[in-house]
Amino acid sequence: MSLTRRQFGRQFGCAFCGLAAALLAGSLAAQAPASGRTFLVPGYRPAPASDEKGLWSLMDRVEQELKLSRFVVRDPTLNAYVRDIMCRLAKDHCPDVRTYIVRTAQFNASMAPNGMMEVWTGLLLRCGDEAQLAAILGHEMGHYLRSHTVERWRDARNKSDFGTFLGLGLAVAGLGAFGSLAQLALVASSYGFSRDQEREADEIGLELMSKAGYPPVAAAEVWEQLIDEYKAGTAERARQLLFATHPEPEERMGALREAAAKAGGDAGERGHERYLEKLAGVRAQLVGDELALRQYGRSELVFERLLVRWPDDGQLWFAKGEVYRLRGEDGDAARALASYARALETKNAPPETLRGTMLIELKSGARDRAQAAFEAYLKAKPDAADADALRMLLSQ
Amino acid sequence: MIRLCVCVVAALALAGCAPLVLVQPERQTVGGVISVQPGIKWNKLTMSGYRGNVEVWTLDGPGLNTLLFFTGVPDGEPLFTRATGAAQQEKPAVFRSAMNPVEVQELLEATMARNFQTTIAEARNLKPAPVANGQGFRFETRLVGRDEVERDGVFAGTIRNGKLYGAWFQGAKLHYFKRYLPEFDQMVASAQLVGDAAR
Repeated sequence: MSLTRRQFGRQFGCAFCGLAAALLAGSLAAQAPASGRTFLVPGYRPAPASDEKGLWSLMDRVEQELKLSRFVVRDPTLNAYVRDIMCRLAKDHCPDVRTYIVRTAQFNASMAPNGMMEVWTGLLLRCGDEAQLAAILGHEMGHYLRSHTVERWRDARNKSDFGTFLGLGLAVAGLGAFGSLAQLALVASSYGFSRDQEREADEIGLELMSKAGYPPVAAAEVWEQLIDEYKAGTAERARQLLFATHPEPEERMGALREAAAKAGGDAGERGHERYLEKLAGVRAQLVGDELALRQYGRSELVFERLLVRWPDDGQLWFAKGEVYRLRGEDGDAARALASYARALETKNAPPETLRGTMLIELKSGARDRAQAAFEAYLKAKPDAADADALRMLLSQ
Repeated sequence: MIRLCVCVVAALALAGCAPLVLVQPERQTVGGVISVQPGIKWNKLTMSGYRGNVEVWTLDGPGLNTLLFFTGVPDGEPLFTRATGAAQQEKPAVFRSAMNPVEVQELLEATMARNFQTTIAEARNLKPAPVANGQGFRFETRLVGRDEVERDGVFAGTIRNGKLYGAWFQGAKLHYFKRYLPEFDQMVASAQLVGDAAR
């Protein structure tokens, strides 16, 4: 099965395709890395009367709105952690970049030309360690350092008019109307980068990872994981013929793996346990958001893959059990009970594991076992908000 | 002509308009299966954007409050879908005849998350409640959509002969939900199943 890049954009948001931009070469005060590319200089600001300044102003307004959004995750530990990773990659550019963690259960990260970076929680859930997150942040930094967004914006504006640009973006993003400036930013991010820009961002990302002490191979891993997830999806998806010229994901993954090997392979720090520790404050919420999508095959794959990394994680076993309970196909009740049982053997099974057990047992007519699970649930979570509802089920 | 119609509909959609039919405060039959007695005038949306076994009413406009009647959702069908774009490519979660009230509550949560493209969609405080002269259930909802408006809601429903019947009223937390909650409660209290649903 081969996938177009655009299909991926729709499925997983736009990490690895991101927001559009590039500066006029002449307006850049150049910084030349080993690759010989011209990068934005730290502290760069566009000229006051330039068209780029207009785009920055728009993004500044988007950022002001984003700061107040109910969807921004405020967890201080996680925010500081993501910011630290970004700074480890960005080095001198660190003061120019602001990171925002946005509660959206899809895989996405994007970077605006003014230095506003969005990291979606669906991405955080899927990463198996710090290095994988660094791979995505590094890629987005690549777009930023090379001003791909501005470049793309100018290109679109020159080829058509801005209305067409937005209209196309709307169609791609599937948005019915602008509800906010943040949505406008999303539209902009949906208007994909060119093949060359993506390749360049991949290469820069690998370089940044290597310099920051992360194993570059993590970038290929993330891409491979996304392809697997896509294939696990069951729904029919229409091909985006308009974007059929973009690179195939498998092709890109192969190129990334090859480039990663040259850039240092698996040498570097994974940050495996630290990643889990920093995510702890929001992980239950992220799991719940993923389950709410009811994309059973995909979620099953995500949790199974994470269980390979953290085989004794009760939260993940619980999540896997929930996938089966909610799907409710033949054999799922037994699968759910087995996953819940495995979760309860761990040190961090959420109390809801017992709730799930109760619901499955009740459904299968095992009322005594359901009652026992309910009582254990209340013992583990005395203030359970759904206690009355579950009691109602048991009494029926 | 077709192009003209499409343009008119598109213009209405862009303007946030949907064709409305006035509903008088007298006993009404919804979808041929639910009979209710409104206490005030409502507006029925004939082009609501919702699809499925639903009928949609509003008081102040769909952006401020909506009342969704579930007029017999059968096994294997979603509670409703909305044409909102990319998320709609995926298969929606569906109602099952064997679902209990907890599972219906979870299903509405997932349905809200999908159709309003949000991660802030919650249902809570599930309780048994009489609905349409029989045993039913009721729970509250909370939703924040892409417009960042916080909306409270309440669902009341019952499963009869393997189908889900009910009503979900939701509106902006600020004013538009709470003001009409007594009207919703009164309508639920007046609800009866009629026609095929009553058999």
